[in-house]
Order: sequence, then C-alpha cells, then structure tokens
Amino acid sequence: MSDIAIKVENLSKLYEIGNSKSGSIYESFSSLFSKNKEASSFWALNDLTFDINHGDIVGVMGRNGAGKSTLLKVLSRITQPTKGRFTINGRVSSLLEVGTGFHPELSGRENIFLNGTILGMSRSEIRQKMDEIVDFSGVEKFLDTPVKHYSSGMYVRLAFAVAAHLEPEILIIDEVLAVGDATFQKKAIGKMKSVSQTEGRTVLFVSHNIGSIQHLCTHSIVLNQGQMVHSGTTDSGIKYYLSSNQDNLKIPLSERTDRKGNQTAKIDDITINTQSNQNTSEFLSGIKGEFVFKYTSKEPLIKVGLRVEVLNSMQKSITVLNTYHSIGEFDLLNKEGELKCQFDRIPLSHGNYYLNFILISNQDIVDQVESAFSFSIEQSDFFNSGNIPLFKESAILDHTWNIT
Amino acid sequence: MGKIVVDANKSKLSLGLRELFQYKDLFITLAYRDLRVRYAQTILGFIWAFVQPLSSLLIFTFVFNKVIKVDTGDAPYQIFAMSGMISWTYFAFVLNQSGNSIIGAQGMVKKIYFPRLIIPLSKAVVGFVDFGIAFLLMIGLMIYFQYIPSSNIIYLPIFILLTVISALAVGIWVSVLTIRYRDFQHIVPFIVQFGLYATPIGYTTSTAVDKLPKWLSIIYYLNPIAGIIDGVRWSILGTEAPNQYAYISFSIVIIIFISGLFYFKKVEKVMADIV
Repeated sequence: MSDIAIKVENLSKLYEIGNSKSGSIYESFSSLFSKNKEASSFWALNDLTFDINHGDIVGVMGRNGAGKSTLLKVLSRITQPTKGRFTINGRVSSLLEVGTGFHPELSGRENIFLNGTILGMSRSEIRQKMDEIVDFSGVEKFLDTPVKHYSSGMYVRLAFAVAAHLEPEILIIDEVLAVGDATFQKKAIGKMKSVSQTEGRTVLFVSHNIGSIQHLCTHSIVLNQGQMVHSGTTDSGIKYYLSSNQDNLKIPLSERTDRKGNQTAKIDDITINTQSNQNTSEFLSGIKGEFVFKYTSKEPLIKVGLRVEVLNSMQKSITVLNTYHSIGEFDLLNKEGELKCQFDRIPLSHGNYYLNFILISNQDIVDQVESAFSFSIEQSDFFNSGNIPLFKESAILDHTWNIT
Repeated sequence: MGKIVVDANKSKLSLGLRELFQYKDLFITLAYRDLRVRYAQTILGFIWAFVQPLSSLLIFTFVFNKVIKVDTGDAPYQIFAMSGMISWTYFAFVLNQSGNSIIGAQGMVKKIYFPRLIIPLSKAVVGFVDFGIAFLLMIGLMIYFQYIPSSNIIYLPIFILLTVISALAVGIWVSVLTIRYRDFQHIVPFIVQFGLYATPIGYTTSTAVDKLPKWLSIIYYLNPIAGIIDGVRWSILGTEAPNQYAYISFSIVIIIFISGLFYFKKVEKVMADIV
C-alpha cells in the first residue's frame, strides 16, 4: 500500500456564472447568440497540486469563496473537475451534510437505512451497527416514529449517529460538526477525534472554525481564490491564514477586489469614532463610540439591510450587528452617505477584532467583504469597580448584581 | 481496498454497470422509500392503487364500448382494454415519476456521490407495483369472464420486458432533459395525457391504421409504447399480430434506450452543478 491516500494533480474547476445550461429552452437558444461567454465564468479551483498521506488529518482553511467547498465536491466526485486529476487510495466516504436523504414520512429506523446506504454502507452492515447507532443517537424511544415528528435536535442527533458509524479509510468532511447541542457536539467531536487518531484514518476536514481545525488536525491547507497558498502543519497554516487577513487589511477598503455581490453600491470605508478620537482603531473597552460605514451607490437603493459580523483574532464570530434585528429595513436614497452604528458603551473586552459585512438591498447581496476592518481594544475598568475584566476577545454584558 | 481515479481529460465510455451493482443496496432502499411514502397519510392507503386503474377501465368501457362501439372480436371489451392498460399504466407512471426524479433528489445529488442512474432506475422499480396490480386486475377479469388466453401467452414476458425497457428509455431521457430544461415539467404531463389517446389502449390499432394515411401511421408508431401494446395484446388475446409499422416502435425503443444511457452519462458529470 502506498503512503499517499489522496493525490491531487493540477486540479481545476471552472464555473459558469450565467449558468446557460439550465433554465428554459428559450434561454438556452438565446445564449447561443450571446457573446462573451468567457467573461461570465470563473475558476473556483485553479491548478491545485498536493498529496495527503495515510493517517494525516488535514484541515482546509480559506475565506468564503476561496474554493473550499468546491474542492470537497470535486474530491467527493459530486462534480467533475474541468482540468487535472486526482487519485484516492482506499475506501472513501464523504460527509458534506448530516442526514442526506432523510425523508420526513419515514421512521427513524427506516431513515437510518436510507441515510446509511446513501453514505455507502451496506444493509447488512447497518443491521449489525443498528444498536450502536441507536444508542449513540439517544432516540430509541422514537425509533418507529416518523422523523417529521422529531425535534430538530433529535433529528440531527440521529443523522449524526449514522454518519459517526461510517468506517471508511479516508473521510472527507465538511463543517457538519457545527450542529446539535453542546453535549452532543462534544460527543461527536470526541468520536471524530478518537476514530481518526486511534484507528489511523485519513481525514480531510473543511471548516471556518479555526478552533476546531486546531483541535483536530495535524496538517493544513490554505486556499485563496481557488489557489493553494499554503500547506504545512496546522500551526503554520493557522498563522499564515491569520496573517493573510492582515495583508488584506493593508489595502484600503475601497480598493479591495475580494468582494461579492452585484456592486450597485459599495462600502468604501469603515471608521470608528469615540468620544475622544475620530477615526481610530484602538480604544478602551466600554467607552461611547460609533462604527461608521461610508458608502457610495450608483442608484438609490430600497429595502436595505447591513449585517456586520464581529470576529475575534481566531476568526471566531463574537456577535452580529444586523439592521434587520435592530431597526428593520431602510432606504438609501442618496448616492453617498454614512451608516452609523452607535454604542453607549462598546461591549467588547480587550483584544483584536475583525469585521465582516454584507450589504443587502431587496434581498440581493449588494456588497460583501470579509475581514474588511480590524481594530483593537485596550483593557479598561468596564464596570467602574476597580477590577478590570481580564478575559480576552469576547462580549462584555453590562449588568449589576443585587442581594436580597 | 478501493482506488478511485478521476481525470478531467479522459472520459470513460463505460456505463459503469459494475458500480451500479455495488450500489444495489441504495437502489433497494430508495425504491422502498418511494413505496412507503406513496400512500403515507392517506385514508384509503393501498386501495388507491386499485381505484385508479379501475376508474380508467370504467371510463374506457363507457367511451369506446358503449358510445363508439369498438369491435374487439371474441374478447370482452374489459379484457381488451385492460390488456392495453397494463403496459400503459406502467409506462405512464415511470414517465411521470422520472421527469422530476432528479430535481426531487437534488438534495442528495448536491451532497453525495452515487451513480445517478439509480434515481430513474428506482422509479422504474416502484412502477412494478402498479404494473402488478393492473396485471392482477386483468387476471381477475379473465376469471370473471371465463376467458382463456391464447397460446401466444408464452411470448408475453418478452413484451413485458420491452415495456420496462421502453419506460426506462423515455424515463431516463426525460429525467435528464428536465434538469437542463425545466420546460419538461410542463411538457411531460401533457405527453402522458395526449399519449392516453395516441396509444391503442381503448381501441384496436387496426381501427387507427385503416383510417389513417400511410405517413400518419408511421408517425403513430413513432410512439414507442404503441407497438409493444400490440404485442402484449397479441400474446394475451391472440388477435392480430403486430403489423409492419409496429417494428418502428420496437426500433425506436432500442434507439432511445441506448442513446438515453449515453446522454445520461454525459450530463451526469455536471449534474450537481446544473440541477
């Protein structure tokens, strides 16, 4: 048996954005006469070459649109590469979703069979493992109830239980661990870890969550705009990924090209103003301040929403500031202006933070940038108690205590 | 130990039948799911499977036997019509189900690999239930009318096999075309409705062929199931043997079946991207 479990050579995948191959007959006729087909396509994967050895647990990192999911889809044989080739040595299972094929009208037991065979198990194999699967899921009482009557937690637990009992030599897995309640998640991650470490499986794991990559993986690959920009140990990969975010931040926001959306409007600049400082990126925790999003727009926009995600230095999401939640939709009638998000006391502890934003109009994404802005917060006496909160990079909830 | 090689520059000509066999368990569970779900939460449940062919039989008897008075020779009209319906119900069921089959399974298609051909194939298996019921009804009618089938009955399995192949052939084509052109979601029900009259189910083919000019007869037999129904009827009733035009139907079936398999294979590669 060779050492190499997955060998990828010059793998590329081209997607057509206009998608002239589906839709109606009329569209496909009219597309015969339209020009610039090349312009409406992009390389989701561009000339990837790497090897993964047996027993490696490899994490794939990258921002949205970097090609992580496309890589998984190609390696799982869901879609064909446009160029290049890959070889997989060993029995492989891929898990891009838990509960694929679950049918609401069927009972839990029937769905175990359905989902299990979809994942590539044989019926006799499932029969053998049935007790284990049921035990792991903890839904034995409802095994003969149609799953449409299950709570979403039970549904996910059952689905994951089936997936956790796959026994491939090579496992290709998407961020499916990010489901279920906390205890179950712990159990599931524990199972993943024990399976991969004690039984010497090869795992290719894609995640946004750097924490879980750090926790599970021995090696890592970083993708950016379809290309592999780094491969090595997990630590070096995470370091590279975080610093590439820094590199992006050196470019002024208005000149960033890693945007998504229809670009009828653009956020050109993000600044933070505090009581004492205009346009700052370093300030104290708990002071009064505002985040200012300067925009320019080609035309007046209606039904606008802005969603800003606040992440810590490990790219873990801390909170979301969403206009839909707080004020609802509004119209942008001027061609340029500022959207201001104001705080009486900025409720974040000390550390470094990043902002991702999505600008939406009429349910379409207008502009989206990840790691669009970074700022750092210094320790302060948030509660005016003389005791400075020392925990890093998380939300501080303003509160008081009473004893009665 | 398995080994998988995927190369964008080399396209395989094989249909992957061996792989299809490896996935037989998935095939079984998918067919089982469709059967289980079909009559879930209905009051009549499985009885519906009998109600549909029986009500069609009633309508046919009324229209073609009482109103138009089609001459069916020695055979009672009900047996005559039913012998046409056994193939047609199967064909129509598979055609109807296949159209949306891949779109209906897109959740699976986008998330996991398996030979996609399993999807339309499993619909063809589910159709066996309707086929079996229509067949049972016909045996029931034969007992009721004390009708003894002709000695041609030994050829019946061949025509049943052809029925399955023709349904699959059309089903495979329609399942792929519907992904590319959603127009087929609207076209297929129309074809099935139209086919009910453009196929010799309630009337004899000779009534049609005698009255039609030659070129129209040829067009009539472009309908893949038309010649097969002639054959089924000949096996059971021993009446007129399939005429020279019926061979058009048989050839069409084989052509559609083989071309369908290869077209399916071709689209399969990009199926997850366009579905």
